[in-house]
Amino acid sequence: MSMALFSSSPPPPTTLSALSLKPRLSFRTQLALFPRKAPSLLLPRSTDNGAGVVSSTATVTEEEEKKEETPPPAAEEKDVESKQQSVLGSNGAAARAEEVLPPKFKDPRWVGGTWDLKRFQKDGKSDWDGVVDAEVRRRKWLQENPEASSNDEPVIFDTSIIPWWSWVKRFHLPEAELLNGRAAMIGFFMAYFVDSLTGVGLVDQMGNFFCKTLLFIAVAGVLLIRKNEDIDTLKRLLDETTFYDKQWQATWQEDKSDSEAK
Amino acid sequence: MASLSSTTSTAAGDSLRSFSGLRRETSILRGVAAADAPASQLRRRQLGVVRASRTSPRLNGRKLRVAVVGGGPAGGAAAEALAKGGVETMLIERKLDNCKPCGGAIPLCMVEEFGLPLDLIDRRVTKMKMISPSNVAVDIGRTLGPHEYIGMVRREVLDAYLRGRAAEAGASVINGLFLRLEQPEGPGGPYRIHYNEFSPAGGGTGERRTAEVDAVVGADGANSRVAKSIGAGEYEYAIAFQERVRIPETKMEYYKERAEMYVGDDVSPDFYGWVFPKCDHVAVGTGTVTHKADIKKFQAATRLRAKDKIEGGTIIRVEAHPIPEHPRPRRVLGRVALVGDAAGYVTKCSGEGIYFAAKSGQMCAEAIVEGSENGSRMIDEGDLRKYLEKFDKMYWPTYKVLDVLQKVFYRSNAAREAFVEMCADEYVQKMTFDSYLYKKVVPGNPLDDLKLAVNTIGSLVRANALRREMDKLTL
Repeated sequence: MSMALFSSSPPPPTTLSALSLKPRLSFRTQLALFPRKAPSLLLPRSTDNGAGVVSSTATVTEEEEKKEETPPPAAEEKDVESKQQSVLGSNGAAARAEEVLPPKFKDPRWVGGTWDLKRFQKDGKSDWDGVVDAEVRRRKWLQENPEASSNDEPVIFDTSIIPWWSWVKRFHLPEAELLNGRAAMIGFFMAYFVDSLTGVGLVDQMGNFFCKTLLFIAVAGVLLIRKNEDIDTLKRLLDETTFYDKQWQATWQEDKSDSEAK
Repeated sequence: MASLSSTTSTAAGDSLRSFSGLRRETSILRGVAAADAPASQLRRRQLGVVRASRTSPRLNGRKLRVAVVGGGPAGGAAAEALAKGGVETMLIERKLDNCKPCGGAIPLCMVEEFGLPLDLIDRRVTKMKMISPSNVAVDIGRTLGPHEYIGMVRREVLDAYLRGRAAEAGASVINGLFLRLEQPEGPGGPYRIHYNEFSPAGGGTGERRTAEVDAVVGADGANSRVAKSIGAGEYEYAIAFQERVRIPETKMEYYKERAEMYVGDDVSPDFYGWVFPKCDHVAVGTGTVTHKADIKKFQAATRLRAKDKIEGGTIIRVEAHPIPEHPRPRRVLGRVALVGDAAGYVTKCSGEGIYFAAKSGQMCAEAIVEGSENGSRMIDEGDLRKYLEKFDKMYWPTYKVLDVLQKVFYRSNAAREAFVEMCADEYVQKMTFDSYLYKKVVPGNPLDDLKLAVNTIGSLVRANALRREMDKLTL
């Protein structure tokens, strides 16, 4: 999908890589200070996200707590959160370990829990590919660095705001081209082989039931089996559809002679 | 069982191999198409034996004796129905104040069908929030009527109430631990059960006792000993891990009528993480079938996702429990039947079990009462199979639909995103709640169903397209 790469907006590469190093460094130093790691309750302490400034707000817990602040990272776009862990076990003792959370997702075009379409204008029209790319990056980011869901900034983005033709143009058409190409190649060579073996020409092949069956199998094969793994995937899917039913019917397939003998 | 594709193949492959090995020979030999005909009729045709209770011997001078092992919702409901039907019932429960690790959600139909008093319900959940892996949050519950809700109960309260009703109906409730049962010597002989009876004062291991009963109802939960003693076979199970967290009043206000469900690979590869409100605290938990060793990691991830909302909370209890994923291969043998979690009646996708436990207990008891003509005749396996037939027929659509939902929507993060997106649709909300609250799979308006199908496919296609792009990207 090389089209996708051309149309994606350039990500901020330098800030990202710089940031990814920083949290790990501070995590390691803090671990050294608190070598004892006990089963812990995560009592998170959220830090306020301002542009480049990290301030921390403490949460009230029943144990006494120490506050530690991490120095603000250089990046303007991402912020670092720090968390405290304390043990609330039956012995009442508290063990602390500092852990630095990965940075939260931030993007200037992500406004109010959704993508601000006004920022995705290109030549006066909406740049839907840009929206797709931005959402892909957001999801990838959150997959790598899961975040707390917030009631103050709820995420309300719905992929259906991107019009269907944009999805078709970007995702369906390239694959359709690929599959049609495969089908055409297979069709041409199959027609040639059948003709060379039996002498039946293309037009006459179309009138023959066996040839039409072969054609159907070829089309179905091209559609369903796109990668080598798909053959196993399809077999597994078929098993899966009936597996649960078999589990439920197991008790009915009881061998009667066993219980009669008792 | 849905999970990441590579793990599904090994997990399902292993279980498929081991599972079908248990029964394949018999089914091939007999060529039984069990799904087509009620099993009792089929067997009659094949063996020429009429297994009706009319031919069972009358019991002289005594009532039918049944032991119900386990005093949870299944056991309590079974014991009550048995006692009401004139059967001499003993209910054996090992821990009368057992505070079970459980979501504690009961559907509306349970309140109606079992006549539960409304003060049993601590909270009425009328809003649910579904949160996708990328934190897209959707509120469902807009379509609920003013009298519709999901009841949240404390298990110790519900279980004690049902046991109390059984005792009132005439069952004798025994605080004891079931050890094993001995098969009867002859065709009409009694089962001898061995159990430890605990004294009311508590402490110690209790006194060894035996009792002779005509039938046993195994309602002793996921680790059922009755199931083991009849060789019922194993099932796949999920581990549900839960922490009860007491959070500040201001945060508790948010959860007053709201439960949350978090989906994502971080939270669970094949289940969901939850925050359910209880009487004065919330239960934060998650579960998994395929990655049980990572449960603590998943729990940490659930806490992270709910971080803002449970901040400042203190953990007051940590608990974990196995949850069956599907019924055991054998649920009835001779005059012993399994009900509830012991039989494996937990739905996929939502992991709901309380209602089905109580209902199966009740149905089994009713089948025994009917087969024994109110305790005056001996019963046989055919009567118990009638309960299986009735239960399977009534609830199979519900179980199958939830299985399909789990297979389709818990497959991957992309599928979960599509799932949450679909939940925003009002028709989906209405169908979901109707089928959950009333346990009836009712097909709606065909045009709406078609629109729903198109929208579902659209959501799945879009989410998967985004996922393929995500795979190409390295951040």
